[in-house]
Amino acid sequence: MIHLKQLSTQQLLCLVLLTQVGVHVLSIPFHESRHAGYDAWMSILLGGIIAQAVILIIYWLGKRYADQSLPQYMTSLLGKPVGVVMNVLLAVYCAESSLLVAVSYTDVIERWLLITTPWYVILGLSFAIAAYIASSSLRSLAVVTQAIMFMFLISVAIVLVSGLGHGDYRHLLPIGTHGLGTIIRDSLPALWLYAGYELLLYVFPSIKYRKQRDIIIAMSVANGLATLFYVLISLVVMYKFSESQLNSIAEPLVYILRQFYWPVVQSLDILFMTIWLSVISVTVYMYLFLSARYLAFVSRREIRKHSLLVWIIAGICFLVGLLGEDRERVLKFTVYHNYATGIIVVILPILLLLVSLVREKGGFAK
Amino acid sequence: MQSDRLTSNNTRVIQEQLSNSSDFQTHDLTAGNRHFRLYYLNTMIEYAIVQEHIIRPLLVHTDVDIREAVSVLHASETELLTDAITAVIEGKTVVQIEGETTLYIYGTALNKERSINVPVNERVLRGSNEALIENLETNLNLMRKLIATPDLVVKYYHLGRRSNTKIAILYLNSIVNEQIVQELDRRMNSIDIDYVEAPGFIQELVEEKSFSLFPQMLVTERPDRVRSYLMDGKVAILTSGSPDSLILPVSFWAFFQSPDDYQINWLLGSTFRILRVFCFIIAISLPGAYVAMVTFDPRILPFEIALTLQSSMQFIAFPAVLEAISMLLILEILREATIRLPSPIGQTIGVVGGIVIGTVVVQSNLVSNTMVVVVAFTGLASFIIPSYEMSSAARLLPYPFIFMSAILGLIGLEFAYLFVLAHLSRLHMMGVPYFYSGLNAGSIRDTLFRAPLWRLKTRAKESLTRNKVRIRNPRGWEK
Repeated sequence: MIHLKQLSTQQLLCLVLLTQVGVHVLSIPFHESRHAGYDAWMSILLGGIIAQAVILIIYWLGKRYADQSLPQYMTSLLGKPVGVVMNVLLAVYCAESSLLVAVSYTDVIERWLLITTPWYVILGLSFAIAAYIASSSLRSLAVVTQAIMFMFLISVAIVLVSGLGHGDYRHLLPIGTHGLGTIIRDSLPALWLYAGYELLLYVFPSIKYRKQRDIIIAMSVANGLATLFYVLISLVVMYKFSESQLNSIAEPLVYILRQFYWPVVQSLDILFMTIWLSVISVTVYMYLFLSARYLAFVSRREIRKHSLLVWIIAGICFLVGLLGEDRERVLKFTVYHNYATGIIVVILPILLLLVSLVREKGGFAK
Repeated sequence: MQSDRLTSNNTRVIQEQLSNSSDFQTHDLTAGNRHFRLYYLNTMIEYAIVQEHIIRPLLVHTDVDIREAVSVLHASETELLTDAITAVIEGKTVVQIEGETTLYIYGTALNKERSINVPVNERVLRGSNEALIENLETNLNLMRKLIATPDLVVKYYHLGRRSNTKIAILYLNSIVNEQIVQELDRRMNSIDIDYVEAPGFIQELVEEKSFSLFPQMLVTERPDRVRSYLMDGKVAILTSGSPDSLILPVSFWAFFQSPDDYQINWLLGSTFRILRVFCFIIAISLPGAYVAMVTFDPRILPFEIALTLQSSMQFIAFPAVLEAISMLLILEILREATIRLPSPIGQTIGVVGGIVIGTVVVQSNLVSNTMVVVVAFTGLASFIIPSYEMSSAARLLPYPFIFMSAILGLIGLEFAYLFVLAHLSRLHMMGVPYFYSGLNAGSIRDTLFRAPLWRLKTRAKESLTRNKVRIRNPRGWEK
């Protein structure tokens, strides 16, 4: 029987872009403007550029093991015990990312849309759907993601449209007065926005390409579009709100959407948040999938029961996520998660590449 | 079982084997010094052929060998009674010369068939007006006439232990993906049932994912449509006794294509294609969206419309969910009733159902009039889908959507969409994915749109054809 397993570069683009964008869009550029103020858009741009640099590193790494995915070559790269530990850590990180995204968006839904609905209903349904999608093959994940791309385009259109109308471009001026130091400092929280490109570590061998360069092109386009989208949102927000207003509004986009007047739809924020749910779900199911895949390579032989693993991880995530009803706890957890993200999506690829280069020099690798 | 020298012994055995059926008959004739006995089922033979081409020559040419005397195309010989019995069942006439064991089998089957008609279920405005009929040979004849190439392969299967139904599989050898044909062959050969009810039985016995509302094989009664799919590297299954052909593997988007699209201007064709897909989305989600908006988020509606809704719902006792489900149920009942009733009464049902129920239900404040509008629109939208199977799927899907919307509002609707999407992406037929997003540059040409012919250079990608190019130089001339 025919088994189609490979992804096209176009599917890769969709996967990366939609995994990157997530709950953050509602709060952009709140966290990024703590020091940089109205220059936050430059921090976000800088974050995108750093992400692009890491993508190049991941691509370089992936090219060296073009027929294997990270969990497969991890043990040959780092040795048996360290490799297994790293695979577990990556699995935990992915599960935790999935959990945090789901919990954060459930929180958004609870605060803005379904105020009286019990927490566990929304969270449970999110994980059920995400696990259902994640428990199938990578190819069908990509197909779902491609279809959700349409939803994403609608959301972009909504954001663009809401940016029209009343505002003041002088909120953005004078450019760069906060100083380069603050912009660089704020590019660190901006970097969290771009997490998601590290999925290339896993999917590299499953991509069908004419030239290997197509992969890096697709990755760069995805990252570029994400950067553009984020910068666009921050510009829209800055156009609408002044810096002092921004300091007290944690989710500016919601307010902008809400006050936009359109004779067909009264409050765009409801529409946007509903459509955005599908974009969020991409991040949730992609990380669930990755988590299960990393875990599958923990024992000596690959664990074949992929869907079972996904459902177990989703179940655990759901149980832990029940604690997330307390907002303070989530905020505290986010701090730890941000450190973890920094280590996994930036430092780990660099380290892995260095190890790989050094080992080749030493004549260990192939 | 060997045949006996004596015709009387053979007659007895055949009679026993045919369970003493009354329509089994024998006929004796003597010509010169030879005695012949004819065995046949009198309900299955063409009398004229037997009289003209078997009996008459035997009587006239008394001294010629029987092989030379009889002038029937399908002629064979056997020594085995079992072969003879099968032949008799198929409508052949078996002749034996008294004192010899050889049995001569002659094809004299009576073919009762209706003439080729206009398609009933898939009508088009432009294009061919031939439809397949119940006779397999006639259907194959139609197909061969449409595709005059040695490339066209016809493969016979005999399914059904008791019915022994003849089934033909058609494909174009140089285009089709041979793995699909091999897999289909394996599955067809493994089927072991009493009889075949086509196309339903074959569909269920061949598809790998049966737990789905979505049709995974396309059923069509139009030879020209079969041809267009064969040309795309797909496989067609024709069954004797059924005027429908099954096409596989097809994608989700095939159910929104109509032969009409290719007969008219591509701009119009594209518009209708988009309209159909749009109506499919409307058909499955409009009642759900309405319920979500009136129960959870009336804020999303402009103030004036919200007022209109409020005034129409003011005196309604039931919650919107109940209204929606009951109205959809009434629509279902009406629809089912009109199919079953003879056509003159069918129109009465339309009047009773549409006008009487529609108006009275609103006047008596049981259902709000906006809900009637919504349900009517939903029903209309589901009729526009060209495939009956897909439109039936679109009839059932609104219920889970309404349910989800009723408990979680628009968020619930979104969850329902995601679930359907995930489900679609998991389906596959012979390993070929059923659903792909029709939005990317490569596939949009013949999914959401119908691009002009000179842009449709490659065959549909879901059939994974060996030969991808459909049109080499569609317009040799330069503008």
